[in-house]
Amino acid sequence: MKILNARLHNFRNHSETSFDFAARMNVLLGENGQGKTNALEALSFFCLTKSFYASADATVLMRDREFFEIDGMLESDNGKEFSLRVAYDNAQKSKKFTINNADAEKFSSVIGMFPVVVLSPENNKVTFGAPNDRRKFIDLVISQSSRAYMEDILEYRRVVRQRNTILTEAQGKECGALLTPWNEMLILRGARVIQKRNQFIREFTPYIADTYLRIVGEKETPKIEYAPSVPIEAETTVEEIQSRLAQKLARKYNDELRFRTSLAGPHRDEVLLSLNGMQLKHFASQGQHKTYLVALKVAEFFYLKERCNETPVFLLDDVFSELDENRSQKLLSLVESLGQTFITATGEKMFGGVHWNKQRRKFFIKDGAVVNEAMAA
Amino acid sequence: MIYTSETIEQLIEEFAQLPSIGRKTAQRLAMHLLKMPREEVVKFAKAMVDVKDKVRYCSVCFNITESDPCSICSSQKRNRKTICVVEEPNDVIAVEKTHEFNGLYHVLGGALSPLDGIGPEDLKVKELLSRLNDDIDEIILALNPNVEGETTTLYLAKLLKPLSIKTTRIARGLPIGSDLEFADEATLTRALEGRVAL
Ligand SMILES: Nc1ncnc2c1ncn2[C@@H]1O[C@H](COP(=O)(O)OP(=O)(O)O)[C@@H](O)[C@H]1O
Ligand SMILES: [Mg+2]
Ligand SMILES: [Zn+2]
Repeated sequence: MKILNARLHNFRNHSETSFDFAARMNVLLGENGQGKTNALEALSFFCLTKSFYASADATVLMRDREFFEIDGMLESDNGKEFSLRVAYDNAQKSKKFTINNADAEKFSSVIGMFPVVVLSPENNKVTFGAPNDRRKFIDLVISQSSRAYMEDILEYRRVVRQRNTILTEAQGKECGALLTPWNEMLILRGARVIQKRNQFIREFTPYIADTYLRIVGEKETPKIEYAPSVPIEAETTVEEIQSRLAQKLARKYNDELRFRTSLAGPHRDEVLLSLNGMQLKHFASQGQHKTYLVALKVAEFFYLKERCNETPVFLLDDVFSELDENRSQKLLSLVESLGQTFITATGEKMFGGVHWNKQRRKFFIKDGAVVNEAMAA
Repeated sequence: MIYTSETIEQLIEEFAQLPSIGRKTAQRLAMHLLKMPREEVVKFAKAMVDVKDKVRYCSVCFNITESDPCSICSSQKRNRKTICVVEEPNDVIAVEKTHEFNGLYHVLGGALSPLDGIGPEDLKVKELLSRLNDDIDEIILALNPNVEGETTTLYLAKLLKPLSIKTTRIARGLPIGSDLEFADEATLTRALEGRVAL
C-alpha cells in the first residue's frame, strides 16, 4: 500500500499540516524538536488506530486542545483507494475511525488492513531490553497479521489486570474462590496466545534468517526461539496447553498470594534472540545489535507483506544518526527497494545521490509545519 | 472559565459528574438550562426526582419497574420455564426488541470485575439460584461478549451445572468488546438463535 496524502490537525505539535507524499521515498528533514517524529507517529496512528509510542490517546493531542484528527488517502496494492480518518475527542474520551466515510464498527477490524513497520531508536529495547520489550514486538507483528490474536491478547491482558486486582486486595490472604472464574478465563485466552506465539516464531524463523543473509552475508546465523511459560512442543494442542497452564496456576498459587501478582501465563513468556548460538543480550557488540534489529524489522516487513497480502509502509525514525555511513547506505538502498518509506533525518548528507522527483520527495519540518527549504535553514 | 456565579459553578459540577459529560459539555448544558423557561426546568427537575421516588427494582428479576413484581414477571403470557440472565436493565430492552424471546429475565446488576470492585457478592446471583425450581427448564446466559461478561458466564455455568437445568449461552456472534445494549436487533436475533449449550 501507499499513503498518498495526509492531513494532521492538533496532533502533538502539528496544528494543521498537510503532506502530498511521493510513491517511494519521503524524507522529513529538520532540526531536533520540530515535529518530524510526531509526523511519523501520526502516520502510524492513522494506519493502526493507535500510537506506537504513547499508550493513551490523550498524550498525542496537542496541548490545550480538545480534539485531534488525521485524515488522508491510501492506495492498496491492487490500486483501490481508501479515504481514512481517525478523530479523537478529549471531552468525550471517544475515538472514531472511518474508512470511506463509514464508521469502523471496531478498531481491531482495521488492524492488518494497512500494515506498518516502524524502526526507531525506541526499538533498541527489542534486542537490549527486558522480556516485555520482546513480547511487545512479537505481539504487534502477530496482531497486525491476525485479528483473532489481537483480540485474544487484549483480552488476556485485561484478565491479568483483573486477577492482579484480586491478588493485591487479598493482601496475602486466601482468595481461591474469587480467583477461580478468572483462572478459567486466563487458561482459555492464555492457551490461545501461547499457541499462536509458538506458531508465529516457527513461521518467522526463516524470514529472519533470510533477511540477515541479505544484510550481512552468511558469516552469522541468527535464531529466534520461544521460551513459553509452560513447556510446549510444535504439536502441542490448545487443550494440552490449557491443562499445563492449569497445573502451573495451581502450583504457583501460594507464590501468587505472597507476591500479590499473577505468576503463570504468557505474560511471563520470553523470546530468545541469538547469534551463532550465543544469546544476543549478553554477547553481541553494539553493531551486531543494530544489524540484528534492522534484520528483525525487515523480516517483519516481509512477514506482514505475505500474511496481510499488502505491502507495509516502512517508517524509519532517526535511524541513520545511529548507523555508520556504510551501514546507512546499505539500509537506505534496501528499504528503498521494498516499498513506500518515510524517513526522518536532521541532515541531508545521507541523501546526496538521491534525485528528488515524483518518486522521491523531501519535506522540511519546522515548528510543527512543512516549510520551504529556505525557511528551514 | 470561572463563572461569576457560584450557583452556576455548582450546576456545572453536577453535570460533569454524569457519564460521558466533559467539562465543556457541562458548561453548555448549564447555560442552556439558564435560558430555558422556568416551568420547563421545573418539569425537568421533577422528572429526575420522580425517577428516584417511583422507580425501583423488581424483587423477582431485579429489572427496573414501577410496580413490584414487574410487568414481565407478573405476565401470564410469558413462558415461565425459561430465564434469560443479563447484566443490566438496558440489556432487557435490547433482547425484548428482537421479539425472539418470550421467557422471563434475571438482571445481575453487572458482571464480575475486580477492577471495578465487583465480586460475586455484588451480583444478584443468590437471588437467581433461589428462583430455580422444577418449573424452570432452561437458562440462557446473555451477558456482554467482553472479558468480564465471559468470565461471569463461566462462573455462572459452573454454579448451575450441579442443578442439571439446561444452560445455554448466546453465541459469540456479537462484535467483541461491544455491549449487548448497542448490538443491533438482527445481530442479537442471530446470537439468540445460535445459542450453545454449556
Ligand atoms: N501533545 C503535544 N502537544 C504539543 N506539542 C507537543 C506534544 N507532544 C510533543 N510536542 C512537541 O513536539 C516537539 C518534538 O517533536 P518531535 O517530532 O519529537 O521532534 P523531531 O523533529 O526532533 O522528531 C517538542 O517541541 C514537543 O514539545
Ligand atoms: Mg525525532
Ligand atoms: Zn421482574
